[in-house]
Amino acid sequence: MQDRKSLFLMTPALAWLTAFMVVPCLLILTLAFFRRGVYGGIEYTFTLENLRLVIDPLYAWIFLKSAWIAGLAALIASVIGYAAAFAIAALPRRNQPLVLFFAILPFWSNYLVRTYAWIVLLNREGLIVGLARGLGYEGELPAMLYTETAVVIGLVYNYLPFVILACYAPLSRLNPEIAEASSDLGASGWTTFRRVILPMSFTGLATGFVFVFVLSIGNFVTPALLGGGQFQMVGNLVYAQFLTANDWPFGAAISMVLIAVMMLFLTLQTFVAERGSGGGLR
Amino acid sequence: MSAFLSVQDLEKRFGTQRAVDGVSLDIRQGEFFALLGASGSGKTTLLRMLAGFEAPSSGRVLLDGQDITALAPNRRPVNLMFQSYALFPHMTVAKNIAYGLEMERLARGEIAARVDEMLAKVQLAHLAGRKPDQLSGGQRQRVALARALVKRPKLLLLDEPLGALDKKLRSEMQLELKRIQHEFGITFIVVTHDQEEALVMADRIAILKDGSLLQCGTPREVYEQPLNRFAAEFIGVMNFIPLIRNGDSLTTMTGAPISTVAPVPNDVQLVAAVRPERLEIGPLRLDTSASESARPDNRLTGTITALAYHGLDLQLHIATDAAPIIARLTADQAESRDLGPGKTVTLSWKAADTKLFPA
Amino acid sequence: MKAPASLTLTILVLVFAFLYIPISVLVGLSFNAGGMPTAWTGFSLKWYGSLFQNQDILRAAWNTLIVALVSTFFATLLGTLLAIGVEIRRRRGRMIETLIFAPMVIPDIVLAIALLSFFSLTDFRLGLHTVILSHVVFNLAFVCAVVRARLRVFDWSVAEASADLGASMLVTLWRVMLPVLAPAIIAGALLAFTLSVDEFIIAFFTAGSSRASITLPMQIYSMIRFGITPEINVLAVLVMVFSLVTLTLAQRFNRGSLTGP
Repeated sequence: MQDRKSLFLMTPALAWLTAFMVVPCLLILTLAFFRRGVYGGIEYTFTLENLRLVIDPLYAWIFLKSAWIAGLAALIASVIGYAAAFAIAALPRRNQPLVLFFAILPFWSNYLVRTYAWIVLLNREGLIVGLARGLGYEGELPAMLYTETAVVIGLVYNYLPFVILACYAPLSRLNPEIAEASSDLGASGWTTFRRVILPMSFTGLATGFVFVFVLSIGNFVTPALLGGGQFQMVGNLVYAQFLTANDWPFGAAISMVLIAVMMLFLTLQTFVAERGSGGGLR
Repeated sequence: MSAFLSVQDLEKRFGTQRAVDGVSLDIRQGEFFALLGASGSGKTTLLRMLAGFEAPSSGRVLLDGQDITALAPNRRPVNLMFQSYALFPHMTVAKNIAYGLEMERLARGEIAARVDEMLAKVQLAHLAGRKPDQLSGGQRQRVALARALVKRPKLLLLDEPLGALDKKLRSEMQLELKRIQHEFGITFIVVTHDQEEALVMADRIAILKDGSLLQCGTPREVYEQPLNRFAAEFIGVMNFIPLIRNGDSLTTMTGAPISTVAPVPNDVQLVAAVRPERLEIGPLRLDTSASESARPDNRLTGTITALAYHGLDLQLHIATDAAPIIARLTADQAESRDLGPGKTVTLSWKAADTKLFPA
Repeated sequence: MKAPASLTLTILVLVFAFLYIPISVLVGLSFNAGGMPTAWTGFSLKWYGSLFQNQDILRAAWNTLIVALVSTFFATLLGTLLAIGVEIRRRRGRMIETLIFAPMVIPDIVLAIALLSFFSLTDFRLGLHTVILSHVVFNLAFVCAVVRARLRVFDWSVAEASADLGASMLVTLWRVMLPVLAPAIIAGALLAFTLSVDEFIIAFFTAGSSRASITLPMQIYSMIRFGITPEINVLAVLVMVFSLVTLTLAQRFNRGSLTGP
């Protein structure tokens, strides 16, 4: 009886999700196995050519490059985010929610705006160049905007609040007496951190890392805006196949590989989370 | 006898587990009935089946001759007072009480009149405009009761009605519930894990364990004539003494004879059971010259290990070589004796006060 | 956990500087008098004025408002019912959980191209209505998540009490569940509204090529690609302030459970 009511309540939303999420995603999966039509349409004959093309060195290189940039951004964001979460968790308990709120706040402002802010800072007449000139530096400054570095900075900046939130959760639940027990048993501060605190909060760190990686590798806005036109990541490749090159089957094939890579990482993260949720948390 | 509420072979399975395992009960109109059991005994599941929130796996429920087994909760002339009270947090006290009447589509004037009448009866008229979070625990309990009673149900179910109250308020409310039940003449079924509560309030008690009914009877019956070891242990305090049987004669593990008037069960392993207040405490007497007629039926010797006052009563913990024993004396009785930890005393009781159970 | 207070303070100052300096510079420059978007020449509100003369921006803002309002309405309705439906079930269906969770983890670009392919192959005309259909997908997932969080601490016996007192399921939903859940539903709706106003990628792919269906984030994107102008600074600040106000409101309604662990 309860389950019939439940079905009645869930049906409209589940129907919507099926129509506008499940079916379109399945469509992408099938598109990847069709041939590109002569004038950009789709020819409905089965082929594995699109998937073969993805591992062609030209495109495989873009995948590797994207993974490198996403990995770098995830690593830097994780280190900074963990340190920030650790610092917040060390504050007096009643101040923590407010500080956390302000650490997350930028995450809720527009992504484009946050990315644009870095264009303003990094461009040739931007604040950083202005600051260097103001300090009396007259020499040639390296270009900062439209570089790989700019893309990494942009990704770290955009996703940092997420890592802070993910790391704060286990750190705030950590019973302070556990750390005290460790030092009582003779461990130094660093040993306590390495042997006790880090293992117990590793889940949050892993979650943060994986999400930044997954969100970055498929990103096309940040590379397009901060990397300049010539800089390509997987997201831009997909974008191009659908909106300019008009090769939907190939675009679908790239997306499929992209989804596979993301799924792999998300599964890994679930695995870590399930292993790591041990006792000792409040 | 025509039962007002008849529960017939009711069973509830969750997967392979039987939460309620073939319970049959007959309850009379106007009765105050208690379902007593530990957590996991199935008492709450049984109550929820009576209210209509759980569908029985098998069995039937008849109320006033009508089969209500498959009736939805909102169509039963039965109301439930929830353990958490489940007051609507966004409605005032008066709105909470009026809700059930509005569902019956009564005229506005009649609803207002009945709500006012009910508020007066539970002494909440001055709080009619308050929201539940502005009330004390005891006041919330009375709102929950009023909300259920105002519908004039044929049967009122109460799930641990006093569980959320502190101890002093609880004993007041036990009598208050009894008074209200009497005044309204509605049949009450109370679920509780507190045997004292059941003994004080109920006309009859049903003891549940692992989904099965162990015993059903008046408080006096279940206290004086427990049908099995669990019932004996669950209601009040009971001393158990392991026995050895030699043909028809019974002795303790150390050979002291135990006499009883109860029929001896066929089981190999037996225990004798005796209530603490049935024990006589006397000084240690080594002479056995007392005349045969004055000798008590049963006698054990032991050393007092601890004393504890329970109100005016004194509870003695005594180590004997047959079993640890608890005895209960009134303060007056204790006064005249020289009792203290380490003292050796004799315990004696009548054969009629000895029950026998399979171990 | 004991860490030197000076160390924690240093970390926090550095992190907050990193998080807030770029945004603050943007806010500062939006009041710049000069035409150069990055060099300070004095205080002025003139670019705020000129923004409200820009017909393209005004139309994009209007489009965004329509998309956000309509998609929030449907998402709130469907998401709330979904949340209640999922939480009254005894068993947790793994499939259903995955289905509900998916819109929040599927990368925007994947959902965007999937929807574009779907709409094109089924001969849907692209426009604001397709953006709305698409936004409801992730918005309903977020509303559902917020309402479910509230339902987990909800005393279900309150709903049972309503049934026990004679109310049908719909009456219980309307007179008991909705009033009790109202703060969470409002918070979820505000969150959905913010997400929809800010959403760029899915709108970009599903809005079609007509200039009439450009949303504000799409407008901002094309302006940024075109070059830096003082007007973008102003627009960026307004968009940011808008999301922050809405989010703070949502936080109020939900007593902090949006960021709370």
